[in-house]
Amino acid sequence: MLEVRALHAGYAGSEVLHGIDLRVGEGEGVIVLGPNGHGKTTLLRAITGLLGARSGEVLFDGRDITRWRADLIAAAGVIHIPQGDLLFPEMTVRENLLMGAYHGPTWAERKVRLNRVYELFPWLEQRAGQLARTLSGGERRMLALSRGLMARARILLIDEPSLGLAPLATQQIYDSIGTIKKSGMPLLLADENANHVAGLADRVYLLETGMLVREGPAEELLQDTALLESYLG
Amino acid sequence: MSVPAAVGAAPARPQADREAAPWRRTSLGTVGGVLLLGLVLPWLLVRLDIGNFLVVLLILFFMQAVVAQSWNLIMGYGGIYSFAQVALFAVGGWTTGVLAHSLGWNPFASILFAPVLATAAALLIGLPTLRLRGTYVVLLTLAFHELSRVFAITGPRFISGGGYGLTIVPGFPLGNVGNDQRLIYLYYIAMGIFSVATFVIWRVIYSPLGVAVTALRDSETYAVSRGIDQFRVRLVLFAISAFFTGLAGGYMTHYSTGISTSVFDLSRLIDLLAMIVIGGWGTFMGPILGAGIVIGLDQALVGIGDFRALAEGVIVALIAVFAPQGLWPTLRRIYDRYLGPEPEPAGQAEADPTVGGE
Amino acid sequence: MYNTQLVQAVWGGILFGSVYGLMALGLTLVWGAVRLLNLAHGAIFIVGAYTAYWVVSTLHLPILAALPVGVVVAATFAGVMHVLFIRPVIGKTGFDNATLVATIGLSISVSAAALIIFNPEYKVVPPVLGGSHNMVGVQITNQGLLVVATSLALFALVYLFLTYSRQGMAIRAVSQQRDAASLMSIPVVRTYGVVIAISGALAGLAGVLLSPFFFLNPSSGFNPMIQALIVTIFGGLGSVRGALVAGFVLGIFESFVEVYLGVAWALPGVFLLIILMLIVRPNGLFGIGEVRRL
Repeated sequence: MLEVRALHAGYAGSEVLHGIDLRVGEGEGVIVLGPNGHGKTTLLRAITGLLGARSGEVLFDGRDITRWRADLIAAAGVIHIPQGDLLFPEMTVRENLLMGAYHGPTWAERKVRLNRVYELFPWLEQRAGQLARTLSGGERRMLALSRGLMARARILLIDEPSLGLAPLATQQIYDSIGTIKKSGMPLLLADENANHVAGLADRVYLLETGMLVREGPAEELLQDTALLESYLG
Repeated sequence: MSVPAAVGAAPARPQADREAAPWRRTSLGTVGGVLLLGLVLPWLLVRLDIGNFLVVLLILFFMQAVVAQSWNLIMGYGGIYSFAQVALFAVGGWTTGVLAHSLGWNPFASILFAPVLATAAALLIGLPTLRLRGTYVVLLTLAFHELSRVFAITGPRFISGGGYGLTIVPGFPLGNVGNDQRLIYLYYIAMGIFSVATFVIWRVIYSPLGVAVTALRDSETYAVSRGIDQFRVRLVLFAISAFFTGLAGGYMTHYSTGISTSVFDLSRLIDLLAMIVIGGWGTFMGPILGAGIVIGLDQALVGIGDFRALAEGVIVALIAVFAPQGLWPTLRRIYDRYLGPEPEPAGQAEADPTVGGE
Repeated sequence: MYNTQLVQAVWGGILFGSVYGLMALGLTLVWGAVRLLNLAHGAIFIVGAYTAYWVVSTLHLPILAALPVGVVVAATFAGVMHVLFIRPVIGKTGFDNATLVATIGLSISVSAAALIIFNPEYKVVPPVLGGSHNMVGVQITNQGLLVVATSLALFALVYLFLTYSRQGMAIRAVSQQRDAASLMSIPVVRTYGVVIAISGALAGLAGVLLSPFFFLNPSSGFNPMIQALIVTIFGGLGSVRGALVAGFVLGIFESFVEVYLGVAWALPGVFLLIILMLIVRPNGLFGIGEVRRL
């Protein structure tokens, strides 16, 4: 459903992605593994419109969304959970969640989705009135993830879910993502290490200095520890 | 792809030479020629019927160009969004006016205090203000402008002249000479001030101070990390800018034998802003070119009256948004392409360091 | 035991406070959402005022009809300004530069246009509410009461709007985290336009309601602009609460200075206060943004 062809993207004066081809099919969990600074975040930002692509195409459900504005891409159901959470710091947990459903039709519908998220993560309801900037790292990550779920997502793009988290929180976050995967949601996950992603992945890409150097089924690539070590250190 | 300029890529040799010895860019011949022309011009012009009027225009041009250059030094180069320029001009003018009129000083003596007081005022505003971010500078300098304006109108009589400003200020004592001769002397004084100011500003821009300024403007974090003290740099620029602006104010007061509160009019402000924006924001020649254009156009479109400020405001807004570089860089590009020397190979051109628009 | 001076000072303070708050509200909203310092705010103020004047004097309609016209015209002007001069440079590095120069340029153009269209004579704009009350020798005009009531009502409205409405929350989201807002499918640039239009409406409203208190002339926008700036910064850039509180603090301060020390000391007094605030607490009362200290 999501297809990227020959994508080139970068920032003023330098190109970071040198021709990326990847795809995510219905219900698939796809992982892009790569060390920091090699273009994972740039890739996700380019797909979801936060960064303009220099050349190439991004197709979603057959539609060319390459030049679309970020808010329209999100409205189409391509939901990006960004690196660093990017929560609304002066808004409460509840308000952050509601913003996730900005595109929802009515307040009633928003309430329905909110309750669904509260069911998945009850502690969110307990902290509903707390300002986002007062949350701990793990809580923020959960909130960012839940906020993404508030939209009518057709596919989730998640950027480094475990970044900066303690081991316990890391486990929780991957468990949550696992739950989401099981419900059939297609995932494109960008990550730095292969430790927790085994259960989530159907296919894996390896990203190195802006190019995808390997692709393969998860069982194959994730077992090959020698290969992984040489790429990820 | 080339490396971003902010990372301080080393310029290739030919560019390095040009930057190290900026005077090689402007041939001594050109400057000499222009100076000579400037010296001879008034003598020629007074022979013509409208010659005197043209000399008057040139004097006006000299003084406006000084103020425009000074303002551009802090706004265009320094990134300091100060709106105190007009007020500093007024400080200079009033200082010399009061000294000459109320205390009876010789204008040649009192005018020396114009830049001094203007600089002092600038330092007074600058010390608390320049540490703060841009928005606050805008506010505080606007407030200073307003305070000065109100004070000039409602202040003690020897300053406010009953709300009209100083109306009886002695002119420069240039001896008992004929009108034409007097005008020529006044012209030389103006030209002298203009030349000194232009030279000093030119030197500042191309000095280590100037390089530090453009570094700060283009990539602040990098410049600060290299040890450039932003506050000190800004303060120095602010002082230099005020010095010459005050001097221009002083000159104009004695030239016009008075200074009125209309100097604070917004139409004067937009005039100056237009000069900088149209001519070339943040470039050396920009404000000079802009001064010429604005004064020239104003004369050419005489019937325009109140529409002038209206047009200037809209033009300034349009240029700021759609062609922020202004006229000078465009002219230079045309010159370089069609008349200039062989262009450098692409790699070296991209390593051109930060001096904006030159 | 009330004496006239005290009542005068207090009433003046409340009135000034409401006025300052109203002027600052629009400015702080725009700063918060768009990070734009709108130096054309004063121009929009007189657009509202002059439109109302024109409706009353040329179309011979009552001021009550002129009020909404003034507000709509001001909001439209702001919207057009956004489309022509702000939107083209959004996201570009020269944004601050360009918008600062453009808004000042436009501000002066509007002033010049007013001069051409309406000539420099002072104009009298009729108040919406006439009449006044006398309280121990202090004249309290009905228009003044209207201004106070309107200001407080607008603050409440804006607060409710920002807190509970979808568009209002979107505005807050955009102010706090622009990229994330995009990812929530909030149209950022369109939101900017909405905020600027709202700000324009507020400025226009202030213009219509306040012009009966002074003689309307082409330079009338400059002073309110500076005062709005002072209040906005004092209260904290981007803070609605700050605009309200700072408006009243400064209003009362200025009023008391005027009554007890004389009018001449009002502006310098406020000037000193703001400098003090910038030294002690550069973010203003409720500001959350970073302030660079060298």
